[in-house]
Amino acid sequence: MTQEVKSALPQEGTGELPHFVSDAPFDLRSVDKLTPEQEKVYFASQMTLMWWKFRQHRVAVWSGVFLLVLYSSVLISEFLSPWNYQTRHSRHIYVAPQAVHLFHEGSFIGPFVYELKRKVNLETMQREYTVDASKPRRLSFFCSGEKYNWMGLIPADNHLVCAPKNAPFYLLGTDRLGRDMLSRIIQGARISLTIGLLGIAVSFILGIVIGGAAGYYGGWVDMIVQRVIEVLQSIPTIPLWLTLSAIMPASWSPILIYFGITIILGLLDWTGLARAVRSKLLSLREEDYVLAARLIGASPARIIGRHLIPGFMSHLIASATITIPTMILGETALSFLGLGLREPITSWGVLLNEAQSINVIAVFPWLMLPVVPVIFVIIAFNFLGDGLRDAADPYK
Amino acid sequence: MKIQSVRIFTILVACLSLASAALADPPAEPRVVDFEALEKAPGQRGGSINILMSKPKDIRMMVVYSGARLVAHDQNFSLQPDILRQVDNDGNKAFTLHLRKGHLWSDGQPFTTEDFRYWWEDVAQNEALMQGGPPRQMLVDGAAPEVEIIDSHTIRYSWQAPNPLFLTALAGARPMYIYMPAHYMTQFHEKYADASKLEARIKQQNVQNWASLHKRFGRQYRPENPELPTLQAWMNTTSAPSERFVFKRNPNFHRVDQTGTQLPYLDEVVMNMATSSIIAAKTGTGESDLQGRYIRFDNYAFLKKGAKEGNYKVLLWPSGKGSEMTLLPNLNVADKGWRAAFQDARVRRALSIAIDRAEINETLFLGLARESGNSVLPSSPLYRDEFADAWADYDPDKANGLLDEAGFDKRSGDGIRLLPDGREMEIIVETAGESSQETDILQLIADHWTDVGVKLFVKPTQRDILRGRVASGETMMSTWEGLNRGLATADMDPEELAPVSPVQAQWPDWGRHHESKGKAGEAPTLEEVARLGELYEAWRNAASRDEKETIWLEMLGIFTDQVFTIGIVSGGLQPIVVNNKLRNVPEEGIWSFEPTLYFGQYLPDTFWLEQ
Repeated sequence: MTQEVKSALPQEGTGELPHFVSDAPFDLRSVDKLTPEQEKVYFASQMTLMWWKFRQHRVAVWSGVFLLVLYSSVLISEFLSPWNYQTRHSRHIYVAPQAVHLFHEGSFIGPFVYELKRKVNLETMQREYTVDASKPRRLSFFCSGEKYNWMGLIPADNHLVCAPKNAPFYLLGTDRLGRDMLSRIIQGARISLTIGLLGIAVSFILGIVIGGAAGYYGGWVDMIVQRVIEVLQSIPTIPLWLTLSAIMPASWSPILIYFGITIILGLLDWTGLARAVRSKLLSLREEDYVLAARLIGASPARIIGRHLIPGFMSHLIASATITIPTMILGETALSFLGLGLREPITSWGVLLNEAQSINVIAVFPWLMLPVVPVIFVIIAFNFLGDGLRDAADPYK
Repeated sequence: MKIQSVRIFTILVACLSLASAALADPPAEPRVVDFEALEKAPGQRGGSINILMSKPKDIRMMVVYSGARLVAHDQNFSLQPDILRQVDNDGNKAFTLHLRKGHLWSDGQPFTTEDFRYWWEDVAQNEALMQGGPPRQMLVDGAAPEVEIIDSHTIRYSWQAPNPLFLTALAGARPMYIYMPAHYMTQFHEKYADASKLEARIKQQNVQNWASLHKRFGRQYRPENPELPTLQAWMNTTSAPSERFVFKRNPNFHRVDQTGTQLPYLDEVVMNMATSSIIAAKTGTGESDLQGRYIRFDNYAFLKKGAKEGNYKVLLWPSGKGSEMTLLPNLNVADKGWRAAFQDARVRRALSIAIDRAEINETLFLGLARESGNSVLPSSPLYRDEFADAWADYDPDKANGLLDEAGFDKRSGDGIRLLPDGREMEIIVETAGESSQETDILQLIADHWTDVGVKLFVKPTQRDILRGRVASGETMMSTWEGLNRGLATADMDPEELAPVSPVQAQWPDWGRHHESKGKAGEAPTLEEVARLGELYEAWRNAASRDEKETIWLEMLGIFTDQVFTIGIVSGGLQPIVVNNKLRNVPEEGIWSFEPTLYFGQYLPDTFWLEQ
């Protein structure tokens, strides 16, 4: 088919340039035609593109899965925890984390725990527990155990794993009132994880509405909003938390206090987001399609909500993922300081608040365990946010 | 150069202290401490120890620990002269106080009856300095004593009727001071001081008048003024505010050991300030040589762990409080519905027997405390089983019965009892918010009470705010420690059992009525409370010990049977950390403010450091 072209210049005396003529039928649109692979890319929705990009960030994906699992556990905390988080086992106070065994005297009898013998050591004034290896107590799965009200509403008694009555089954030990730490951590997750979402919801609504108005209208609205934000940002957060949480009356039920704290956290957090929204809107509102929408007669709310915000939704999602850990830490910090949630509600912050004495560090270190889920959740959220941010602009 | 100057300085200080030691002397008739009877070993002078405290006002603890009182309780809780050489008691009506000859204030000036006269004539009876007149322990039926100064070392106080409070008040942990260093204080007194100088001082100190100035410089119980002469074993040398108070030995202290060596043995006690929550941690690393305050039983395991590296030992002294924690239902609460409820003895009794004290004991006290109401302790001669056990046995059925009988038989959908006006029985317990142990106990009680249909909420506040709210009737129920005088003898003031002061959170209004002599508050409307008031007056006029004892017992009987305060457990244990080198600290003691003055009764001036 193709002839070898020796030189770019025509040879002397031949008079004809070497050339090639395709005998394929002429198709005017051949340039526009895409391979199926290309088609997939070019016609993919933005979400799909983000997903592809996101998938490449392996750590982010695993973080996402981890968080998904944790958040779904929140729905069935009571089922997952072996005991109710408030049940006191006065015979098993300050029990260290326990091992689950499989073999008893050489023979396999399935997962079980040994009975504990308790003795008060009058020398150190401590309870000492010794394993009574003659009494194995078998664990059962998907069983009926302590009664509870699922989400405070539906009575049930199903547990993933239960120990026989009064058997010591405390995978992460017990606290000073003999309450199972594992159950407390699992059920504390419900508050600690959701407080972030609720707080974010509040701060998003405020941030988008206020920042959107400032960016779209500009002028004096923008001016006032900016000054308010500056004032709010200049106030140190801890004293502000102190004041706001002091305002909440003690007679409020713990659940109201929980909502109060969420709202406090949200109220303080919208400023950064409002600024981001504002600056995005300032640039986007000059686009032609906005002008077109305006000429057709769309209302400002519709223009902002329908045409402008989707333009940087990806950015918002990424920033939300990064803000949730701040909220979780905020709750933990407030509760740690004794200003946030209070007993009988439990959260990781409440658990850590109880663990802040020198006794705990020196004598009962397992009470510090709620730190572990806090760390993992925060790290996971940060990786997830990182992945999402990279993915948010897939054309790059 | 620098090293040399330091060395010269040290020598100088050494010379000076030698000189002052030579000048300083115990009184010619010192109090010879009976070391054998106390099972103490004579020691050697010198050394310095550290103790930890939390609040600046804790410097008063040195006056408590030091324990020098005109008369003081001995190991058997009977009163013996201490600063005084001798006391002649004539039927509790007349007291002749004999001072020690040659007794000097810490600044070297003589301590004489002039100091007593100055206080009585120019302080106690001065309108500006004591708005309410002399302290109530000085008055019998409102009448002041006749004070006769016999000579420079003898003074007599006499009343028409017996005043059994007089000596006990002098021996108190926070004693009644009936003397003041006149030679020092007159410079602040309008009557004696040069008017222009006084004016300049008032300006300089930025106070309102001379009386404020006099008060500020004359606080003997809280020795903030390093220049104020003292009779205690150690004197403060640091002006407040400070993070480190240095107490130096009083060169003129009145006690000596059997070899004639003047006490105290320790040259210096250094009080370092730290936040109360980290005092246990600091003590655990050996930063305190003698610590009891701000460490608790639940720190014991931790303290024990650090004992070897910290070079200290940990002792356990039983607490001298009548109860580790009590619930105080406010019988004068402003809320009418609750006032009626709390004034009904059946309600108080029901609330008491609805508490599972055994669980609280097991959970928080390792089962080592005693499950009893708020009464005196077994080591008190006034102890009777029926007082301690009154309404202290766990019996939820009986409690339910009592509450039904008292008219709280209607219940809401959640099983919570209703007040006659239809509200749910929700009791808000206010605490000083100082200890997590308190919160834990309350959490357990909340569970126990749910079983009898009563809800409990905890509201932590601050001590001062709580006091104000109690006094104004806003607080429904509060928590406090039990009887301070858990080790009471018949001679001790039974004021905690009767309505005498608005500070008493179970009946602030009735207490105010007594304190203001009927001008404020209201008279007790409950027969039993009124009877307690009468008995208290009777005790004050009792001449013999037997009579006093009968009165005490009757008061305890009413107090515990009526359950005016709901005690939880008693006989908790207090860890005491003592440096291994510190000698003469008894292995066994009782930890209480009153009457043992924490360490005060064990004579810290006899503690010494082995070199």
